[in-house]
Amino acid sequence: MMAKKVDSYRFLHGIEKRVLKRWAGLPGESQIPWTPLATPLSKCTVSLVSSAGIALKTDHPFDPEIERRDPWFADPSYRVVPRTARTGDIQVCHLHINPTFAEQDLNSVLPAERLDELAEMGEIGAGAPSHYSYMGYTLRPDRLLGESIPGIVRQLRAEHVDVVVLVPV
Amino acid sequence: MGLVQREIEAAGFSTISLSMIPELTASAGAPRIAAIEHPFGMTLGRPGDAAGQMAVFRTTLQAMEAMAEPGGVVHLPFEWTSTEKLALGPPVAPPIARYLARHPWALPRFLNRTPPPVSGG
Repeated sequence: MMAKKVDSYRFLHGIEKRVLKRWAGLPGESQIPWTPLATPLSKCTVSLVSSAGIALKTDHPFDPEIERRDPWFADPSYRVVPRTARTGDIQVCHLHINPTFAEQDLNSVLPAERLDELAEMGEIGAGAPSHYSYMGYTLRPDRLLGESIPGIVRQLRAEHVDVVVLVPV
Repeated sequence: MGLVQREIEAAGFSTISLSMIPELTASAGAPRIAAIEHPFGMTLGRPGDAAGQMAVFRTTLQAMEAMAEPGGVVHLPFEWTSTEKLALGPPVAPPIARYLARHPWALPRFLNRTPPPVSGG
């Protein structure tokens, strides 16, 4: 196999490219947390987290006005996306992407059906009953990290999840 | 996404990000990254391309099983070969773009990720 090196900036141009290159060069955390994979994937329960701002149409919608009032900050809440949710059941709230692709096929950003297929084939133990989503843009992450993520973690524990795949958009 | 991933990993779950901007995700100190060269809004692949989505997702999970060190990055071998012109941006410019057009002196704050203090409620 040819060694592929992903170009982080291939689909970025102009000011966006400049900003993201700059952010990638800012000093970050030196310590990286680590939880080793305790069991083979074929025995793991797997959950998904998407930053696309996905909510069930029957759920309380994300509020884009928060970011329109304060452009440094997005709605810090999260939504549960049940594993049974399908494209027609959801809406996408994210002011930095074209939501069309996700609204045509949820699996383009939250591969819940692909996950269940892997479970049926025995490649993973199980798909978790719940997946999660939040609005991925914020320069003030305190409430997202301090309020929403603990809620997600509680439910991941309650559903005995081993592995979490995070899918940015 | 890297910050969120760190919190979940620290809480006792094994995590991996499927990142289209792996340099940015890595700079946040993400525990494991599968890098994918896909356009924004189609992380797994095109709408309706179940086979392509599955190939990316399966490879992501397999990459995870092989990673033994914090901060590992695996570059997935998928090539985005389509030359089709896609509307990848949002239908309306994001609020921060419009804000910076009116307040260009705030650009250094944005570049340095140092937002102004929250005013009022």
